[in-house]
Amino acid sequence: MPWESAIPNPLAGDALATPAVSGMDSDQFAGFYERSARPLWAYLARVSGDPALADDLMQESFVRFLTADHPSDGEVAARRYLFRIATNLLRDHWRRPRAHSLEDVPEDLFACASASNVSDSQILLGPALALLRPRDRQLLWLAYAEGYSHREIAAITGLASAGIRLLLFRARRKLAAFLREGRSTAGGSA
Amino acid sequence: MILRTCPRERELAGLLHRGHWPHACPPDLQAHVPMCRACSDLLAVTLAFRHARAQSSSTARLQAPGILWWRAQLRHRNSALQTIRKPILGAQLFAFAVALVAASLALAAQAARGRQWLAWLASLPHAFHPDSLNPAALIPTTLLPASMPSFSGALWLLVPVLATLAILGGLFVCFGSDRR
Repeated sequence: MPWESAIPNPLAGDALATPAVSGMDSDQFAGFYERSARPLWAYLARVSGDPALADDLMQESFVRFLTADHPSDGEVAARRYLFRIATNLLRDHWRRPRAHSLEDVPEDLFACASASNVSDSQILLGPALALLRPRDRQLLWLAYAEGYSHREIAAITGLASAGIRLLLFRARRKLAAFLREGRSTAGGSA
Repeated sequence: MILRTCPRERELAGLLHRGHWPHACPPDLQAHVPMCRACSDLLAVTLAFRHARAQSSSTARLQAPGILWWRAQLRHRNSALQTIRKPILGAQLFAFAVALVAASLALAAQAARGRQWLAWLASLPHAFHPDSLNPAALIPTTLLPASMPSFSGALWLLVPVLATLAILGGLFVCFGSDRR
């Protein structure tokens, strides 16, 4: 038997029928993707402030998730692992040196929403997040948008579990101060 | 910064997580939150993030999962091919190293006879002189160095040199085709 026949051949059209290394078949993956892609995209878009980058990183996260040996003890652990991959990709992106120009900044990054049903906090969150450090944005999103515990955040970000509480406390206080400040400024100018 | 937390923070976090705030919240906690810095921070930040999450999730543009599945399969296949190629490359390098060592040994063995070879090379024009083209005298006296007792000695030298050249040539062809 030639050794090439032992490897799945996506070009021959058997990609959807062949189980991946991840332990999921294509239907299971489709379900998992439907449930976890939107929260993951929201995390990447809000933390990076760049929806186009979030698109790219989300696709890369899922591809890496499928090709890696992820934990097989349930969807919660799988989703946590997916967020971990995305967090590492974000970190790699920030570490990579690149030239910044005005065109790189997405148009709606610092724009305030004008819909009448949007709360003050929500309007002010984008600019307030932009003032925080990337790590603080990650920690706050994982804790308050995704509802992860300190131990889970430590597993996702690779930080020490003992330090998460203090880091979160500081970041939350800073963000709350920005929100209060923005609200009072908006109230004063109105 | 001093870490000052409120004992009711956990209770408030639980209510927010379950979506019980503010309607299913005890009245005393509702009265406590505006007066407590930690709890009001927690409330403001959690509500802002939950709204942002709902808004961003609704604006996400998702690709079909089949495309990602196919890309993952392709990458898995490529990495498997890469894994298989590694030992092949190792074997090629090993063969190249052995060929180099053999060539070096052959050169070292012949270095001692270098002078004799030079003398032999210098005498080559005389060997092709019309007077010396006598078939009977050709091989034993003129074309071979004086140190070589017979024609079998020349074969002993010629075979490993040709073999080394053949191995090196094969390796170069192999490397060239691999790169392409």
